This record gives sequence, C-alpha cells and structure tokens, in this order.
Amino acid sequence: MATIIDLKDITVTFKNKASTVHAVQDVSLQVEAGDTYGIVGYSGAGKSTLVRVINYLQKPTSGTAIVNGQALGKLDKDQLRVARRKIGMIFQHFNLMNSRTIAGNIEYPLRYSKLTKAGRAKKVQELLALVGLSDKADAYPAQLSGGQKQRVGIARALANDPEILLCDEATSALDPKTTGEIIDLLKRLNQQLHITIVFITHEMSAVKSLCNHVAVMEAGKIVERGALLDIFSNPQQALTRDFINTATQLDTALAEVRKQPAVINLPANARLVHLSYTGASTDQPLIAGLYQQYGITANILYGNIEFLQDVPVGNLIVILTGDTTKLPTAFSQLRDQGVTVTLLDPKGDAVD
Amino acid sequence: MSILNKFLPNVMPIWDQVWQATLETLYMTFFSAIIAGILGLIVGILLVVYDQGGIMPHPAVYSILDKIVNIFRSIPFVILLAVIYPLTRLLVHTTIGNTAALVPLVVGTIPFYARQVQNALVQVDGGIIEAAQAMGASNIDIIFRVYLREGLPDLIRVSVLTLISLIGLTAMAGAVGAGGLGNLAVSIGYQRFQNDVTFVAMIIILIMVFIVQGVGDWLTRLTTHV
Ligand SMILES: Nc1ncnc2c1ncn2[C@@H]1O[C@H](COP(=O)(O)OP(=O)(O)OP(=O)(O)O)[C@@H](O)[C@H]1O
Ligand SMILES: [Mg+2]
Repeated sequence: MATIIDLKDITVTFKNKASTVHAVQDVSLQVEAGDTYGIVGYSGAGKSTLVRVINYLQKPTSGTAIVNGQALGKLDKDQLRVARRKIGMIFQHFNLMNSRTIAGNIEYPLRYSKLTKAGRAKKVQELLALVGLSDKADAYPAQLSGGQKQRVGIARALANDPEILLCDEATSALDPKTTGEIIDLLKRLNQQLHITIVFITHEMSAVKSLCNHVAVMEAGKIVERGALLDIFSNPQQALTRDFINTATQLDTALAEVRKQPAVINLPANARLVHLSYTGASTDQPLIAGLYQQYGITANILYGNIEFLQDVPVGNLIVILTGDTTKLPTAFSQLRDQGVTVTLLDPKGDAVD
Repeated sequence: MSILNKFLPNVMPIWDQVWQATLETLYMTFFSAIIAGILGLIVGILLVVYDQGGIMPHPAVYSILDKIVNIFRSIPFVILLAVIYPLTRLLVHTTIGNTAALVPLVVGTIPFYARQVQNALVQVDGGIIEAAQAMGASNIDIIFRVYLREGLPDLIRVSVLTLISLIGLTAMAGAVGAGGLGNLAVSIGYQRFQNDVTFVAMIIILIMVFIVQGVGDWLTRLTTHV
C-alpha cells in the first residue's frame, strides 16, 4: 500500500512573550492509504497540533508534510485550499454552523465543487443517507443530539470525497453507546470508501475498536507506535500500558482484586500474576498445563477475553500456588508459549 | 379636538412644524445609519480578522485600528460636534442644517458601531471558523458566509443598540444647529417654556425607539435557530 500521509521531522513551537511551548517535537509519522491510525495521549501531549499539521491548519515550525502526494509546505494559499478539500476533518465539539440547516451545513463545502445546484442537492441526500440522517435535512443543529451532530460533521467532511478523514477527539464529547455508534460508522466508511482515518483521542478503548495502527504521544513526541495487536499484547512504555489497562479495565479490576481476602492474606507459596496472551496461545490449555506439569494450582480472580481485529486477546489475574522452586520454570514456559507474565505486587497500586 | 387644544395648546398650531422636524430626524438617522453602518461594519470586521486569534492576524494594523477606535469613542459627542466643524465645512460646504449634522453623526457612530460589531463577531465559535478553514474556505468566504451569517443575531442586536443611540445623537445635534425633534424641543419647547412641545417631541422619539426595538427583536428571533 502507498503512504498517503508522510510527516517528516515535524516540530511545532509556540512562542509568545511569556513562554515557549514545544507542542510537537521532531515527530515523523507515516500512514498507509486505507489505514485507520489512532494517536493517543493525555491532554496537552500535542495530538491536536500534530493532526492539524496534516491539513496545514497548523504550519509546522520545521519539517515536511507530504499528504496525498503533495508537499503542503510548497503550496500557495489557493493550492492549499484545494488540497484541504481532499482532507476531511471532524471535531470534538462538532463545529456545525448554527445558522444553517443540516442540509445547509453539509452543502457548505460543496460550493467549491463543480456540481450543479441539482447535483449538490442529490449529493447532500446521499451523504445524509450514508450517515443515517435523511429525516433531519431541514432541522437545525440545535435540535440534534451529540451523536447526530457528529454524524452531520462526518457527512460534511465527506462532501468533497476526501481521501483522508482527520478525527480530533471526535467521540470525546459523547456517551459510551453513542461513541460506539460513531466508531462503527467510521469503520464502515473506512471499509466502504477506503478512506484513510487518523483518529486522535485520549481513550484507548475507541482506538481499540477502530484502528489498525496506534501511536502513543507524550510531551510532543511519539513514544511508542505499531500495529494495534502488537501494542496491546506487548506494550513497551509505562504510558502505553496505562492507556491499555484503562481500556481493558484491567486497572479497575486489579483494584478490586487487591481487596480480596485471598490476596490480602497471600500465603508465602503463592504469587499474584497477570497473564496476557493473544491469538494462538489462547488455544492452549494454559491453566491445566500448569497443574499437570508442575502441580501449580491457579485461582482465577479476574478474566477477560476480547477480540481486536478478530484476534482474541486474553487477560487473566490469577493466584498461582505451588512449589516456589518450580514457579520460575513454569513462568518461562508460559513465556515460551507467547504469554506475557507479570508478577503483581499484592499491595501496590501499579499493575507492574 | 378641543381636548387636544386644551392639553397641547402650543403644539396644535405648529403640527406641520412637528411633522417637518420628525422627517428631519428620520433623515439624519437614516443616512447616518447607512453610512456609519457600512463603514463601522467594515472597521469591525477588520478588527476581528486582524486580531491575534483572527483569520489574518496582523498585530500592527490591529493595534492602530484599535487605538483609533478607542480615541474616537472617548470624545463626548457634544465636543465632537464642535471639533469637527472644519471637516464638515470641507465635506458639505456648510456647518448648519441636517446634512451638515450627518458628518459628526457618522464620525461619532462609526467607532461605536465598529466596536459593537467586533464584540458580536468574536462570539462566533472559533471551532466553526476552523472547520471552514479545514474545508478549504477562503478568508472572504469565511467573513461573508461564516462570520456575518453565524453572527447575524448578535449583529442585529448591536445594530438596534447603535440605531437607538444614533436617534439620541440626532436630538443632540439638533440642539446645536441641526433641525429635527431635538431642535424643536430645545428652541421652542425649552426656550419658550412650551412644555407640551417638548413632551410631544419626546413621545415621537420614544415611538421611533420602540419601533426600532420591536423590529430588531423580531429579526433576531427570525435568525436565531435554537
Ligand atoms: N495556538 C497555540 N499557542 C500556544 N500554545 C499552544 C497553541 N496550541 C497548542 N498549544 C500548546 O501546545 C501543547 C499541545 O497542545 P495540543 O492542543 O496539541 O494538545 P492535545 O494533545 O491535543 O491536548 P487535548 O487532549 O487537551 O486536546 C499544549 O501545551 C498547548 O497549550
Ligand atoms: Mg486536542
């Protein structure tokens, strides 16, 4: 597949009299055409600044952005405006025009297209149908729910048939159910229209259900990136684990687990362990194997299996009890089977 | 008729003069509103787009415009009337009468209206502007199709405010040489102690204000979609 977004050594520095903020520092990022790419990070990490470089709403202090085959920095104002029509964008607060109807909002970007008036009306109808809002054409934004407003935002962003859809915290103002619906819609658009999606968020759970790739940002830098499955099954950075544990609700589960009497009074020959595994390893009878080979018993305190891109990802929190001399051997065998084994401190509050 | 004669003894004989004064006030209000409206709107828009967070940030130009507006807003209108004599003579070759009054009325109203327009337009959500930019809208597009349209209810509100204050200013201009209801109230009602004339002038001005306010409220409701 071809690279559709190619950011090279992007740095964005905001200077004013009082202070200098390094919002993005030397970030390179490639996104393949048709991919769904998530960028997660806490507030102030520089996600919005980075994504705004992709349509040059933010001119970088240094570095180059090649999008849709064009070096945006080399375009003049008018060329840039034309280029932006092939890069849709949706926002956390939807940013619809209150003075226009839903149809009017969606039609707004079409005034730059070559369509006739009738052609534009038809296109608006198609877009409304695509996002499931055909009956709201004549309503005003104030009459819509948040989820509906975001659907309008999506329809508007798609008006000029863009190659890329940038989503800046597009689901952060929505409740979990509506978030799921918007994610499903984006997924469908990605599959049907092959539109490339860049999805900025502080919620790993949204990335988990939408994206093929994920990058984690902190203090203006990408600290970790990769295929979703790799990141989820084998996160390298503490920050990444943080996001994942929130998404899989492992952190809340662990807090509960630590309140259990079995954990509080953990005997000397027992260990509190977090086992996580993906794909093939879930086919193996892990727990039974431990008992048969080493006489180690497992008390499952928490278990969760979910599917990331149709691959099962399992997380177990267990108390393993047995001959303490055999535990290390058992652990290394589990690791050989592709299971990530993390010893947990029964009292601490970090998962590590 | 006899009741009117009893309560408005001085007004009845000069109804045609009252009517004439009303027309003069309408004339001054209307033309200065048009001219100051257009120029004030332009200055207001420039203040918004050149501002730091605007679509064409330009600190130097902004700060000059901003200072000019502030200075002119600080001059009391009565003093402006006097100070502006030479300009008036230059522009309309006379310094008395209704047309001459247009000059100070316009000059006094532009900065006031410009600031009001600025305040109305900065209310437009920056996110909407950003969305338009992301869609490839040009700056001219953003001014006319986003700022002016999204800000319309607020623009109407501040225009009504300005119009009402302008009606007040015409009365003041009337007191120092222009015609209109202000002149009527001062030169006849006040100086000849004919209180009924002053009273009628006041009522007519109040009616004008109520009509402007009513039409404005109606337009605001028509353009607000919440
Ligand atoms: N126009 C600007 N002028 C000055 N500083 C800015 C500007 N825009 C962003 N910043 C700063 O750059 C840093 C990164 O901001 P950015 O909005 O990219 O973060 P973010 O990851 O999107 O955060 P959030 O999740 O809160 O949206 C912050 O410290 C912010 O204060
Ligand atoms: Mg942001």
